[in-house]
Amino acid sequence: MTKVQSLKISISGVRGIVGEALTPQLLAAFAGALGTYLGRGPILVGRDTRPSGLMVLNAVFSGLLSAGCEPVDLGICPVPSIQVRTASVRSQGAIAITASHNPVEWNALKFIGSRGLFLNNYQAEELLDIYHQRNFAQVPAQEIPRVRQDSRAIPEHIQKLLDYFDARIVRGARLKVVIDSVNGAGSLAAPAFLRQLGCRVIEIHTRPDGLFPRNPEPLPENLGALRKAVVANRADVGFAQDADADRLAVVDAHGRPIGEDYTLALATLFALERRRGPVVTNLSTTQAIDDIARQLGCPVIRTKIGEINVVEEMIQSHAVIGGEGNGGVILPEVHYCRDSMSGMGVVLQLLAARRQPLHAIVASLPRYVVIKQKAEFPPDQVSRLLDALERRFPDARKSTLDGLKLSWDDRWLHVRPSNTEPVLRVVAEARSRSQAQALVRDAQRIIASLK
Amino acid sequence: MKPLKIGISWVRGVVGETLAPELVVDFACAFGTFVEGAPVAVGHDSRRSAPMVHAGVLAGLQSCGCDIVDLGLLPTPIIQYAVRSRRLAGGISITASHNDARWNALKFIGRDGMLLNSFQSGQVMDIYHLGEFRKRPWDKLGQIRRDERAAQGYFEFLLDKLDAPRIRKAHLKVVTDCCAGAGGGLVRGFLERIGCTVVALNDEPDGDFPHSPEPNVRNMKGLASVVKSVGADAGFLVNTDVDRVGLVAGGGIPLSEECVLPILADYILDSTPGCVVSTLSTSRMVESAAARHGRKLIRARIGEGYVLQKVVTEKAAVGGEGSGGVAVPKWTRWFDGFASMGLVLECMARRKTTLAELAAGLPRYHMIKGSIPSSSERIYPLLEAFRKSYHSESPNLEDGVRVDWKDAWLHIRASNTEPLIRIIVEAENLARARELYDLCYAQVQRLQTAGGA
Repeated sequence: MTKVQSLKISISGVRGIVGEALTPQLLAAFAGALGTYLGRGPILVGRDTRPSGLMVLNAVFSGLLSAGCEPVDLGICPVPSIQVRTASVRSQGAIAITASHNPVEWNALKFIGSRGLFLNNYQAEELLDIYHQRNFAQVPAQEIPRVRQDSRAIPEHIQKLLDYFDARIVRGARLKVVIDSVNGAGSLAAPAFLRQLGCRVIEIHTRPDGLFPRNPEPLPENLGALRKAVVANRADVGFAQDADADRLAVVDAHGRPIGEDYTLALATLFALERRRGPVVTNLSTTQAIDDIARQLGCPVIRTKIGEINVVEEMIQSHAVIGGEGNGGVILPEVHYCRDSMSGMGVVLQLLAARRQPLHAIVASLPRYVVIKQKAEFPPDQVSRLLDALERRFPDARKSTLDGLKLSWDDRWLHVRPSNTEPVLRVVAEARSRSQAQALVRDAQRIIASLK
Repeated sequence: MKPLKIGISWVRGVVGETLAPELVVDFACAFGTFVEGAPVAVGHDSRRSAPMVHAGVLAGLQSCGCDIVDLGLLPTPIIQYAVRSRRLAGGISITASHNDARWNALKFIGRDGMLLNSFQSGQVMDIYHLGEFRKRPWDKLGQIRRDERAAQGYFEFLLDKLDAPRIRKAHLKVVTDCCAGAGGGLVRGFLERIGCTVVALNDEPDGDFPHSPEPNVRNMKGLASVVKSVGADAGFLVNTDVDRVGLVAGGGIPLSEECVLPILADYILDSTPGCVVSTLSTSRMVESAAARHGRKLIRARIGEGYVLQKVVTEKAAVGGEGSGGVAVPKWTRWFDGFASMGLVLECMARRKTTLAELAAGLPRYHMIKGSIPSSSERIYPLLEAFRKSYHSESPNLEDGVRVDWKDAWLHIRASNTEPLIRIIVEAENLARARELYDLCYAQVQRLQTAGGA
């Protein structure tokens, strides 16, 4: 079996365990590499609430300053708010200090370009080349800038959301909402946004101290407290964020998670009813998206996993909605980023406009069951594994855009190496749980036999 | 030639060349490992590069689990006092002291507020070279607490030690030049609290040094002219972290930086038992101050760490260097511009005398100091050649080569702070000093050329 590494340097950034591989030396070097890559000028830096964030922040400041970049400290800030702010002020780009949905002992740097988009694969590879060559820009002492503070990122983001949604309709409904921000960066933004939409807000886990009261990944099994609170308070809906507030899980009034894939399904319904156009999502996202889009006569374009891959395709194809099945909704009119608060706005406006409970709206959507699993596997054996899987299912349509996706009309199986953790992701979807389970079981058996 | 120097108690480099963030973080981690993750203080001078070095130091110390009292912009002696009075395990002062603005450095402070001695420094360097730093998990990282009150605490301490009422009664007028360093504002505030009227030059600590921050006669022109024009009793020139001070006498007469230690030693020995410690490169003027009080003079290697090491082991009454750095061990065990200025003023007030008179009371020697750039690989063969050529004079080899004659001495050594060979000669008459210096200089040049061929 392969050892789980405590460091992952990839095109999605550098991620590691604090106190093991994620050292201040490494962080300062990466910040220096980014400063070298983006060039001198302001670089925004925001972080989630993890207690290790301040150490990481100091190391990042040191690396940026040495390269002659002016760090603009956004403080604790959701990643989408960092991205919105980066696009609206003059800057070279931004760094988000967050390990997103990973447990608290992890932290990470994610790199954002001047338009507020994550670096794409080519840009990220250029950055990694600079990092590995170690020849970072260094300015003379007298040209080293100072750190500047900027507290406008969250207010500006909320204002953009209020401009996009029909706040009047939502306010009229006086919806009762429970918000679970996992004591993450969303704590400082989501409750304020919901109140400005006229909601009656019940907050759980909105103390921004980074002591995550649950696993920060907004999966159904991590939402126990939210589900109880929704039922106990007779709320209309419950929302759960991850630590950097890009992903959203939704719980209906009965306390049932609708499934994180259905966050995007609802957003697709909402956005396409406003305006017809292409939908972009990744290969591992529910087929319900295709069904919804088909009913409204809109095309669906599938991409590799990763926000930037979806975003670049959205820009290319002028998509009206996009996102990922893990609860990441992208409304291009707010910003080209996954944004849990965009997702909240969608759900609230749907509830207010349709005057229907959430479970009724969800029941009207095509129903699929998704099963997501992880498997440890030696990275050098992956192509052998994918060949074996393909041979096992000769009747399926296949896509090799990102790992291997095998599709039939009513079900699919997707196996690929993770971008963020040293594991394989195994995802299957079908009309019934037993069908999806059968696919996952077959895949896991082949994985185990080749390990 | 790499502009990075690792000396006793510090590491010093040129920002934008050798003093990169990763190096800063590495040394902070080495220090954090050395203190085993115990609480420390951090402060910095006014250099433009301070934010970069400061952030790197904080990150490194945090990762070792050191809780940090962040003192912000402060002179080194006050950081040292904060370490001692708050019973911290150590501290880092971010300052290149008397070096120009291109440089910055970490000065390592130990548990008692003293700069690390040679043994402690050796341990930090060993840890640095091993590269095996203490690493703490996310919930054991060091926390940072800002503290703005350290300077007030220190001034109260000094005010309690000094005879402030006497100084106040003397109605002294002084001019200060802080060279836009960390002393900006603070030196003036301190002197006003002991009752002086202060005219402050270059008092904005913005790091734009108007002249070289070394407190020697060459850099006293502006200060001297203001001392003269405002009719002040004294002028003080301090370096960027106020561990050294240079003196200008009333009427605008710059005094050699070599005068500070003998003037203070003579005054301190009036009331304090113990010997005097200075360095192999310090003027013989201090010998007569010691002799007048019947005390021993002990010469240490150059560098605050070495001097204070000797001060402690020899239980000295005073210790210092010819560069204007003086320690008053009955109060504190570090070079301290504030204590030095306070004592100079107290001496003037109590003895009812002027700086010019104090300087006139010192024996007259002629000192010539110079330096020749030299790469590190040439320095040691060169010193070795010198040792051989002065073999018959039984030279002192503790730090380079020092040769003593009855009427003169010469000292040649590698600089601790820059890639230079330093030559210092002192003699009773100028012609002899000049002759010795020229001889020595020519010899170095000849050896350099030979080495290069």
